[in-house]
Amino acid sequence: MHIPDGILPLSVTGSGYAATALTTWYSIRKIRQKEDPRQDIPKASLLTAAFFVASWIHIPVPPTSVHLVLNGLLGALLGYYAFPAILIGLFFQAIMFGHGGLTTLGVNAMIMGLPALIAHHIFRLRKWRNGDSQRKTGAFGFLSGVVATGISVAMFVIILLTNLPAEINVVSERAAIYALAIAHIPVIFIEGTVTALVTMFIRKVRSGILDGV
Amino acid sequence: MNLGIDEYTDLDSPFHRWDPRYKIIGLITLVFAFSFIRDLRMLLAVAIATITIYGISRLPAGYIVKRFRYPSFFLLAIVLSLPFLSGEHVLMSIGPIALRQEGLLATILIATRFSCILIVGMILLGTTPLLTNIKAVRTLGIPDIMADMALLAFRYLQEIGRDLRNMQTSMRLRGFKERRFSPRGLKTLAWLSGSLLIYSYERSESIYKAMVLRGYGQAPPRQSEFQANKKDALILVAIILTAAGFIIGDLMLGHSTSTLLQ
Repeated sequence: MHIPDGILPLSVTGSGYAATALTTWYSIRKIRQKEDPRQDIPKASLLTAAFFVASWIHIPVPPTSVHLVLNGLLGALLGYYAFPAILIGLFFQAIMFGHGGLTTLGVNAMIMGLPALIAHHIFRLRKWRNGDSQRKTGAFGFLSGVVATGISVAMFVIILLTNLPAEINVVSERAAIYALAIAHIPVIFIEGTVTALVTMFIRKVRSGILDGV
Repeated sequence: MNLGIDEYTDLDSPFHRWDPRYKIIGLITLVFAFSFIRDLRMLLAVAIATITIYGISRLPAGYIVKRFRYPSFFLLAIVLSLPFLSGEHVLMSIGPIALRQEGLLATILIATRFSCILIVGMILLGTTPLLTNIKAVRTLGIPDIMADMALLAFRYLQEIGRDLRNMQTSMRLRGFKERRFSPRGLKTLAWLSGSLLIYSYERSESIYKAMVLRGYGQAPPRQSEFQANKKDALILVAIILTAAGFIIGDLMLGHSTSTLLQ
Protein backbone atom coordinates (compact mmCIF):
# COMPACT_ATOMS: atom_id res chain seq x y z
CA MET A 1 0.00 0.00 0.00
CA HIS A 2 2.87 2.37 -0.72
CA ILE A 3 2.44 4.65 -3.73
CA PRO A 4 5.78 4.80 -5.58
CA ASP A 5 7.43 7.82 -7.18
CA GLY A 6 6.45 8.85 -10.69
CA ILE A 7 2.70 8.20 -10.56
CA LEU A 8 1.20 11.16 -8.73
CA PRO A 9 1.29 14.73 -10.09
CA LEU A 10 3.18 17.50 -8.29
CA SER A 11 -0.05 19.05 -6.97
CA VAL A 12 -0.90 15.84 -5.09
CA THR A 13 2.61 15.09 -3.80
CA GLY A 14 2.96 18.73 -2.69
CA SER A 15 -0.42 18.63 -0.93
CA GLY A 16 0.62 15.35 0.72
CA TYR A 17 3.74 17.01 2.14
CA ALA A 18 1.71 20.02 3.34
CA ALA A 19 -0.86 17.78 5.07
CA THR A 20 1.93 15.69 6.60
CA ALA A 21 3.73 18.80 7.90
CA LEU A 22 0.48 19.98 9.50
CA THR A 23 -0.28 16.59 11.09
CA THR A 24 3.32 16.22 12.32
CA TRP A 25 3.15 19.70 13.86
CA TYR A 26 -0.13 18.79 15.60
CA SER A 27 1.24 15.43 16.84
CA ILE A 28 4.41 17.05 18.21
CA ARG A 29 2.36 19.79 19.86
CA LYS A 30 0.37 17.06 21.64
CA ILE A 31 3.58 15.21 22.60
CA ARG A 32 5.13 18.41 24.03
CA GLN A 33 2.13 18.86 26.31
CA LYS A 34 3.41 15.88 28.33
CA GLU A 35 5.37 16.58 31.50
CA ASP A 36 8.67 15.27 30.10
CA PRO A 37 8.27 14.63 26.36
CA ARG A 38 11.90 13.44 26.00
CA GLN A 39 11.30 10.54 28.38
CA ASP A 40 9.16 8.72 25.84
CA ILE A 41 11.49 9.28 22.86
CA PRO A 42 13.63 6.12 23.36
CA LYS A 43 10.46 4.04 23.83
CA ALA A 44 8.83 5.50 20.70
CA SER A 45 12.08 5.15 18.69
CA LEU A 46 12.69 1.53 19.58
CA LEU A 47 9.06 0.65 19.02
CA THR A 48 9.31 2.42 15.63
CA ALA A 49 12.27 0.19 14.76
CA ALA A 50 10.43 -2.88 16.14
CA PHE A 51 7.31 -2.09 14.08
CA PHE A 52 9.49 -1.66 11.01
CA VAL A 53 11.06 -5.08 11.65
CA ALA A 54 7.72 -6.72 12.59
CA SER A 55 6.31 -5.68 9.21
CA TRP A 56 8.75 -8.21 7.66
CA ILE A 57 6.82 -11.07 9.31
CA HIS A 58 4.84 -12.73 6.56
CA ILE A 59 1.45 -14.27 7.25
CA PRO A 60 0.65 -17.16 4.88
CA VAL A 61 -2.56 -16.49 2.92
CA PRO A 62 -2.54 -19.23 0.26
CA PRO A 63 -1.58 -19.08 -2.56
CA THR A 64 0.60 -16.18 -1.40
CA SER A 65 1.61 -14.46 1.85
CA VAL A 66 1.01 -10.95 3.15
CA HIS A 67 3.09 -8.73 5.37
CA LEU A 68 1.47 -6.71 8.11
CA VAL A 69 0.91 -2.94 7.93
CA LEU A 70 0.41 -2.59 11.70
CA ASN A 71 -0.64 1.06 11.60
CA GLY A 72 -3.63 0.31 13.87
CA LEU A 73 -1.33 -1.34 16.41
CA LEU A 74 1.12 1.57 16.13
CA GLY A 75 -1.66 4.05 16.86
CA ALA A 76 -2.93 1.92 19.76
CA LEU A 77 0.49 1.62 21.43
CA LEU A 78 2.22 4.89 20.58
CA GLY A 79 -0.61 7.43 20.59
CA TYR A 80 0.53 10.74 19.07
CA TYR A 81 4.05 9.36 18.56
CA ALA A 82 2.52 7.08 15.90
CA PHE A 83 2.48 9.72 13.17
CA PRO A 84 6.19 10.72 13.40
CA ALA A 85 7.00 6.99 13.81
CA ILE A 86 5.17 6.13 10.59
CA LEU A 87 6.82 9.02 8.75
CA ILE A 88 10.27 7.79 9.84
CA GLY A 89 9.42 4.16 9.03
CA LEU A 90 8.20 5.08 5.54
CA PHE A 91 11.34 7.15 4.94
CA PHE A 92 13.52 4.16 5.86
CA GLN A 93 11.44 1.83 3.67
CA ALA A 94 11.76 4.21 0.72
CA ILE A 95 15.53 4.57 0.97
CA MET A 96 16.37 0.98 1.93
CA PHE A 97 13.99 -1.06 -0.19
CA GLY A 98 12.48 1.35 -2.72
CA HIS A 99 9.00 0.81 -1.24
CA GLY A 100 7.10 4.06 -1.61
CA GLY A 101 9.21 7.04 -2.63
CA LEU A 102 10.70 10.39 -1.71
CA THR A 103 8.14 12.54 -3.56
CA THR A 104 5.23 10.38 -2.33
CA LEU A 105 6.45 10.26 1.28
CA GLY A 106 3.90 12.89 2.36
CA VAL A 107 0.96 11.15 0.66
CA ASN A 108 1.98 7.71 2.00
CA ALA A 109 2.42 9.17 5.51
CA MET A 110 -1.16 10.49 5.37
CA ILE A 111 -2.48 7.14 4.05
CA MET A 112 -0.85 5.22 6.92
CA GLY A 113 -0.56 7.87 9.65
CA LEU A 114 -3.98 9.49 9.78
CA PRO A 115 -5.77 6.13 10.33
CA ALA A 116 -3.18 5.35 13.05
CA LEU A 117 -4.25 8.47 14.96
CA ILE A 118 -7.90 7.44 14.55
CA ALA A 119 -6.95 3.96 15.85
CA HIS A 120 -5.34 5.61 18.90
CA HIS A 121 -8.63 7.28 19.81
CA ILE A 122 -10.63 4.10 19.18
CA PHE A 123 -8.28 2.08 21.42
CA ARG A 124 -8.60 4.61 24.22
CA LEU A 125 -12.34 3.92 24.34
CA ARG A 126 -11.57 0.60 26.09
CA LYS A 127 -11.13 2.57 29.33
CA TRP A 128 -14.60 4.07 29.03
CA ARG A 129 -16.88 2.81 31.85
CA ASN A 130 -15.29 0.55 34.49
CA GLY A 131 -11.74 0.71 33.05
CA ASP A 132 -10.24 -1.80 30.67
CA SER A 133 -10.29 -5.58 30.79
CA GLN A 134 -8.65 -8.31 28.74
CA ARG A 135 -11.82 -8.73 26.67
CA LYS A 136 -12.26 -5.00 26.07
CA THR A 137 -8.59 -4.65 25.12
CA GLY A 138 -9.06 -7.41 22.53
CA ALA A 139 -12.30 -5.97 21.16
CA PHE A 140 -11.00 -2.40 20.84
CA GLY A 141 -7.65 -3.68 19.56
CA PHE A 142 -9.49 -5.55 16.80
CA LEU A 143 -11.56 -2.48 15.98
CA SER A 144 -8.44 -0.27 15.86
CA GLY A 145 -6.70 -2.65 13.44
CA VAL A 146 -9.72 -3.09 11.17
CA VAL A 147 -10.64 0.61 11.03
CA ALA A 148 -7.03 1.79 10.49
CA THR A 149 -6.29 -0.69 7.71
CA GLY A 150 -9.73 -0.20 6.14
CA ILE A 151 -9.30 3.59 5.98
CA SER A 152 -5.74 3.17 4.63
CA VAL A 153 -6.97 0.85 1.85
CA ALA A 154 -9.80 3.25 0.94
CA MET A 155 -7.44 6.29 0.86
CA PHE A 156 -4.86 4.36 -1.16
CA VAL A 157 -7.36 3.19 -3.80
CA ILE A 158 -9.06 6.58 -4.16
CA ILE A 159 -5.82 8.62 -4.35
CA LEU A 160 -4.29 6.18 -6.80
CA LEU A 161 -7.17 5.74 -9.21
CA THR A 162 -8.14 9.41 -9.33
CA ASN A 163 -4.57 10.51 -10.05
CA LEU A 164 -3.23 8.06 -12.62
CA PRO A 165 -1.78 10.04 -15.55
CA ALA A 166 -4.17 8.24 -17.92
CA GLU A 167 -7.89 8.15 -18.47
CA ILE A 168 -9.47 4.88 -17.44
CA ASN A 169 -13.12 4.43 -18.42
CA VAL A 170 -15.69 4.44 -15.64
CA VAL A 171 -16.45 0.72 -15.87
CA SER A 172 -12.76 -0.29 -15.66
CA GLU A 173 -12.18 2.19 -12.82
CA ARG A 174 -15.11 0.80 -10.83
CA ALA A 175 -13.94 -2.77 -11.50
CA ALA A 176 -10.41 -1.87 -10.34
CA ILE A 177 -11.75 -0.27 -7.13
CA TYR A 178 -13.89 -3.34 -6.33
CA ALA A 179 -11.04 -5.74 -7.16
CA LEU A 180 -8.54 -3.87 -4.97
CA ALA A 181 -11.05 -3.54 -2.13
CA ILE A 182 -12.04 -7.24 -2.24
CA ALA A 183 -8.38 -8.32 -2.42
CA HIS A 184 -7.70 -6.37 0.78
CA ILE A 185 -10.64 -7.70 2.87
CA PRO A 186 -8.67 -10.70 4.25
CA VAL A 187 -5.74 -8.38 5.03
CA ILE A 188 -8.03 -5.99 6.94
CA PHE A 189 -9.36 -8.83 9.12
CA ILE A 190 -5.90 -10.33 9.66
CA GLU A 191 -4.66 -6.87 10.75
CA GLY A 192 -7.59 -6.57 13.17
CA THR A 193 -6.99 -10.04 14.61
CA VAL A 194 -3.23 -9.51 14.99
CA THR A 195 -3.80 -6.11 16.65
CA ALA A 196 -6.25 -7.72 19.09
CA LEU A 197 -3.90 -10.64 19.86
CA VAL A 198 -0.84 -8.42 20.32
CA THR A 199 -2.60 -5.89 22.58
CA MET A 200 -4.03 -8.73 24.72
CA PHE A 201 -0.60 -10.39 24.87
CA ILE A 202 1.07 -7.12 25.92
CA ARG A 203 -1.61 -6.44 28.54
CA LYS A 204 -0.98 -9.87 30.02
CA VAL A 205 2.82 -9.83 29.90
CA ARG A 206 3.81 -6.15 30.27
CA SER A 207 0.72 -4.05 30.96
CA GLY A 208 2.87 -0.98 31.68
CA ILE A 209 3.28 -0.41 27.94
CA LEU A 210 -0.46 0.27 27.66
CA ASP A 211 -0.63 2.59 30.67
CA GLY A 212 0.13 5.79 28.80
CA VAL A 213 -2.40 5.12 26.02
CA MET B 1 20.74 -7.70 8.07
CA ASN B 2 23.09 -5.58 6.01
CA LEU B 3 21.32 -2.34 5.10
CA GLY B 4 24.15 -1.29 2.76
CA ILE B 5 23.03 2.35 2.58
CA ASP B 6 26.38 3.95 3.40
CA GLU B 7 28.44 1.60 1.23
CA TYR B 8 29.76 4.26 -1.19
CA THR B 9 29.71 7.41 0.94
CA ASP B 10 33.51 7.48 1.23
CA LEU B 11 34.09 7.92 -2.53
CA ASP B 12 35.20 11.29 -3.88
CA SER B 13 33.00 13.32 -6.26
CA PRO B 14 31.42 16.79 -6.36
CA PHE B 15 28.26 15.26 -4.86
CA HIS B 16 30.24 13.62 -2.04
CA ARG B 17 31.92 16.96 -1.26
CA TRP B 18 28.72 19.03 -1.51
CA ASP B 19 27.36 20.40 1.79
CA PRO B 20 24.61 17.92 2.85
CA ARG B 21 22.13 20.70 3.68
CA TYR B 22 22.44 22.24 0.20
CA LYS B 23 22.38 18.78 -1.37
CA ILE B 24 19.08 17.91 0.35
CA ILE B 25 17.45 21.19 -0.77
CA GLY B 26 18.80 20.97 -4.33
CA LEU B 27 18.08 17.32 -5.08
CA ILE B 28 14.65 17.30 -3.41
CA THR B 29 13.72 20.32 -5.56
CA LEU B 30 14.95 18.40 -8.61
CA VAL B 31 12.87 15.26 -7.88
CA PHE B 32 9.75 17.36 -7.36
CA ALA B 33 10.41 19.05 -10.72
CA PHE B 34 10.68 15.55 -12.25
CA SER B 35 7.28 14.62 -10.85
CA PHE B 36 5.80 17.66 -12.65
CA ILE B 37 6.94 16.58 -16.15
CA ARG B 38 4.33 15.18 -18.56
CA ASP B 39 5.75 15.93 -22.00
CA LEU B 40 7.68 12.98 -23.47
CA ARG B 41 10.40 15.22 -25.00
CA MET B 42 11.08 16.80 -21.62
CA LEU B 43 11.06 13.31 -20.16
CA LEU B 44 13.97 12.44 -22.45
CA ALA B 45 15.84 15.54 -21.19
CA VAL B 46 15.12 14.46 -17.60
CA ALA B 47 16.53 10.98 -18.30
CA ILE B 48 19.70 12.46 -19.87
CA ALA B 49 20.16 14.84 -16.92
CA THR B 50 19.70 11.97 -14.45
CA ILE B 51 22.29 9.77 -16.20
CA THR B 52 24.72 12.73 -16.37
CA ILE B 53 24.52 13.57 -12.66
CA TYR B 54 24.72 9.89 -11.74
CA GLY B 55 27.94 9.72 -13.78
CA ILE B 56 29.28 12.80 -11.96
CA SER B 57 28.47 11.20 -8.59
CA ARG B 58 30.86 8.29 -9.41
CA LEU B 59 28.51 5.80 -7.77
CA PRO B 60 28.96 2.38 -9.42
CA ALA B 61 26.33 1.01 -11.83
CA GLY B 62 25.92 -2.02 -9.55
CA TYR B 63 24.47 0.28 -6.89
CA ILE B 64 21.51 1.05 -9.18
CA VAL B 65 21.01 -2.65 -9.98
CA LYS B 66 20.96 -3.49 -6.27
CA ARG B 67 18.38 -0.80 -5.48
CA PHE B 68 16.16 -1.75 -8.44
CA ARG B 69 16.13 -5.37 -7.26
CA TYR B 70 13.22 -4.56 -4.95
CA PRO B 71 11.04 -2.43 -7.20
CA SER B 72 7.51 -1.99 -6.07
CA PHE B 73 5.41 -4.94 -7.28
CA PHE B 74 2.62 -2.50 -7.33
CA LEU B 75 4.47 -0.36 -9.91
CA LEU B 76 5.07 -3.51 -11.93
CA ALA B 77 1.32 -4.22 -11.86
CA ILE B 78 0.60 -0.72 -13.17
CA VAL B 79 3.19 -1.00 -15.94
CA LEU B 80 1.78 -4.37 -17.00
CA SER B 81 -1.90 -3.39 -16.88
CA LEU B 82 -2.19 0.29 -17.87
CA PRO B 83 -1.32 -0.13 -21.61
CA PHE B 84 -4.22 -2.59 -21.90
CA LEU B 85 -6.81 -0.78 -19.75
CA SER B 86 -6.45 2.90 -20.53
CA GLY B 87 -7.20 4.80 -23.74
CA GLU B 88 -9.25 4.58 -26.91
CA HIS B 89 -6.70 4.29 -29.75
CA VAL B 90 -5.86 0.63 -30.22
CA LEU B 91 -2.32 0.07 -31.53
CA MET B 92 -2.60 -3.70 -31.88
CA SER B 93 -4.79 -6.45 -30.53
CA ILE B 94 -4.53 -10.18 -29.96
CA GLY B 95 -7.95 -11.67 -29.26
CA PRO B 96 -9.62 -9.76 -26.42
CA ILE B 97 -6.33 -8.07 -25.37
CA ALA B 98 -5.69 -4.66 -26.97
CA LEU B 99 -2.60 -2.49 -26.60
CA ARG B 100 -3.76 1.11 -26.27
CA GLN B 101 -1.75 4.21 -27.20
CA GLU B 102 -2.74 6.47 -24.28
CA GLY B 103 -2.08 3.75 -21.73
CA LEU B 104 1.29 2.98 -23.28
CA LEU B 105 2.33 6.67 -23.13
CA ALA B 106 1.19 6.90 -19.51
CA THR B 107 3.22 3.79 -18.70
CA ILE B 108 6.36 5.28 -20.31
CA LEU B 109 5.76 8.48 -18.30
CA ILE B 110 5.34 6.63 -14.99
CA ALA B 111 8.28 4.25 -15.50
CA THR B 112 10.69 7.02 -16.58
CA ARG B 113 9.71 9.42 -13.80
CA PHE B 114 9.93 6.59 -11.25
CA SER B 115 13.42 5.54 -12.41
CA CYS B 116 14.79 9.10 -12.57
CA ILE B 117 13.43 10.05 -9.13
CA LEU B 118 14.78 6.82 -7.62
CA ILE B 119 18.24 7.40 -9.13
CA VAL B 120 18.43 11.02 -7.91
CA GLY B 121 17.29 9.79 -4.48
CA MET B 122 20.12 7.26 -4.58
CA ILE B 123 22.61 10.06 -5.31
CA LEU B 124 21.23 12.04 -2.36
CA LEU B 125 21.45 9.11 0.04
CA GLY B 126 24.41 7.28 -1.45
CA THR B 127 26.89 10.15 -1.28
CA THR B 128 26.38 11.16 2.38
CA PRO B 129 26.11 8.85 5.42
CA LEU B 130 22.50 8.57 6.59
CA LEU B 131 23.33 9.84 10.08
CA THR B 132 24.91 12.98 8.55
CA ASN B 133 21.79 13.47 6.42
CA ILE B 134 19.57 13.25 9.51
CA LYS B 135 21.79 15.82 11.30
CA ALA B 136 21.61 18.06 8.21
CA VAL B 137 17.81 17.81 8.15
CA ARG B 138 17.79 18.79 11.83
CA THR B 139 19.71 21.99 11.03
CA LEU B 140 17.16 22.69 8.28
CA GLY B 141 14.46 22.90 10.94
CA ILE B 142 12.81 19.52 11.51
CA PRO B 143 11.73 19.18 15.15
CA ASP B 144 14.26 17.70 17.61
CA ILE B 145 11.80 14.96 18.58
CA MET B 146 11.69 13.71 14.96
CA ALA B 147 15.47 13.87 14.52
CA ASP B 148 16.11 12.05 17.83
CA MET B 149 13.56 9.38 16.96
CA ALA B 150 15.06 8.84 13.47
CA LEU B 151 18.63 8.60 14.85
CA LEU B 152 17.65 6.14 17.60
CA ALA B 153 15.38 4.03 15.37
CA PHE B 154 18.13 3.73 12.75
CA ARG B 155 20.69 2.89 15.44
CA TYR B 156 18.64 -0.08 16.73
CA LEU B 157 17.13 -1.31 13.45
CA GLN B 158 19.85 -3.87 12.78
CA GLU B 159 19.82 -5.19 16.35
CA ILE B 160 16.05 -5.64 16.41
CA GLY B 161 16.26 -7.29 12.97
CA ARG B 162 18.76 -9.73 14.47
CA ASP B 163 16.41 -10.38 17.42
CA LEU B 164 13.61 -11.25 14.99
CA ARG B 165 15.84 -13.65 13.05
CA ASN B 166 16.90 -15.40 16.27
CA MET B 167 13.29 -15.72 17.43
CA GLN B 168 12.21 -17.14 14.06
CA THR B 169 15.07 -19.66 14.15
CA SER B 170 14.03 -20.74 17.65
CA MET B 171 10.43 -21.18 16.48
CA ARG B 172 11.50 -23.33 13.54
CA LEU B 173 13.74 -25.44 15.78
CA ARG B 174 10.68 -26.09 17.95
CA GLY B 175 8.74 -27.31 14.90
CA PHE B 176 6.79 -24.18 13.85
CA LYS B 177 5.94 -24.13 10.12
CA GLU B 178 4.91 -20.84 8.52
CA ARG B 179 3.66 -22.33 5.26
CA ARG B 180 -0.03 -22.86 6.02
CA PHE B 181 -2.61 -20.43 7.36
CA SER B 182 -4.22 -21.47 10.63
CA PRO B 183 -5.73 -19.56 13.58
CA ARG B 184 -3.07 -21.12 15.82
CA GLY B 185 -0.28 -20.08 13.46
CA LEU B 186 -1.69 -16.53 13.34
CA LYS B 187 -1.73 -16.42 17.14
CA THR B 188 1.90 -17.60 17.28
CA LEU B 189 2.98 -14.95 14.75
CA ALA B 190 1.07 -12.27 16.69
CA TRP B 191 2.87 -13.32 19.87
CA LEU B 192 6.15 -13.17 17.99
CA SER B 193 5.37 -9.53 17.08
CA GLY B 194 4.29 -8.86 20.68
CA SER B 195 7.50 -10.38 22.10
CA LEU B 196 9.58 -8.24 19.73
CA LEU B 197 7.74 -5.10 20.88
CA ILE B 198 8.07 -5.96 24.58
CA TYR B 199 11.75 -6.79 24.21
CA SER B 200 12.35 -3.46 22.42
CA TYR B 201 10.35 -1.57 25.06
CA GLU B 202 12.39 -3.09 27.88
CA ARG B 203 15.62 -2.26 26.09
CA SER B 204 14.44 1.37 25.61
CA GLU B 205 14.12 1.83 29.38
CA SER B 206 17.80 1.09 29.98
CA ILE B 207 18.77 3.16 26.92
CA TYR B 208 16.89 6.16 28.34
CA LYS B 209 18.69 5.83 31.69
CA ALA B 210 22.06 5.64 29.90
CA MET B 211 21.15 8.70 27.79
CA VAL B 212 20.19 10.72 30.88
CA LEU B 213 23.49 9.75 32.57
CA ARG B 214 25.30 11.11 29.51
CA GLY B 215 23.41 14.43 29.81
CA TYR B 216 20.58 13.90 27.32
CA GLY B 217 18.28 16.92 27.34
CA GLN B 218 20.66 18.96 29.55
CA ALA B 219 23.50 19.97 27.23
CA PRO B 220 23.30 23.32 25.40
CA PRO B 221 22.64 23.01 21.64
CA ARG B 222 25.84 22.28 19.74
CA GLN B 223 27.19 24.45 16.95
CA SER B 224 26.34 23.21 13.48
CA GLU B 225 29.01 20.85 12.12
CA PHE B 226 28.31 21.99 8.56
CA GLN B 227 30.06 24.84 6.81
CA ALA B 228 29.11 25.79 3.28
CA ASN B 229 31.28 27.71 0.85
CA LYS B 230 30.61 29.61 -2.38
CA LYS B 231 30.99 26.48 -4.49
CA ASP B 232 28.22 24.72 -2.52
CA ALA B 233 25.91 27.68 -3.11
CA LEU B 234 26.75 27.78 -6.84
CA ILE B 235 25.95 24.07 -7.29
CA LEU B 236 22.64 24.64 -5.48
CA VAL B 237 21.76 27.55 -7.78
CA ALA B 238 22.67 25.44 -10.84
CA ILE B 239 20.46 22.54 -9.70
CA ILE B 240 17.51 24.81 -8.87
CA LEU B 241 17.81 26.55 -12.26
CA THR B 242 17.86 23.12 -13.94
CA ALA B 243 14.70 22.11 -12.04
CA ALA B 244 13.02 25.41 -13.01
CA GLY B 245 14.14 24.86 -16.62
CA PHE B 246 12.41 21.47 -16.71
CA ILE B 247 9.16 22.91 -15.39
CA ILE B 248 9.18 25.91 -17.74
CA GLY B 249 10.13 23.68 -20.71
CA ASP B 250 7.31 21.27 -19.93
CA LEU B 251 4.76 24.09 -19.66
CA MET B 252 5.96 25.57 -22.97
CA LEU B 253 5.61 22.20 -24.68
CA GLY B 254 2.03 21.76 -23.47
CA HIS B 255 2.41 19.80 -20.17
CA SER B 256 0.75 16.68 -21.62
CA THR B 257 1.76 13.21 -22.79
CA SER B 258 -0.54 13.53 -25.79
CA THR B 259 1.05 16.71 -27.23
CA LEU B 260 3.21 14.64 -29.57
CA LEU B 261 0.16 12.85 -30.97
CA GLN B 262 -1.78 15.98 -31.94
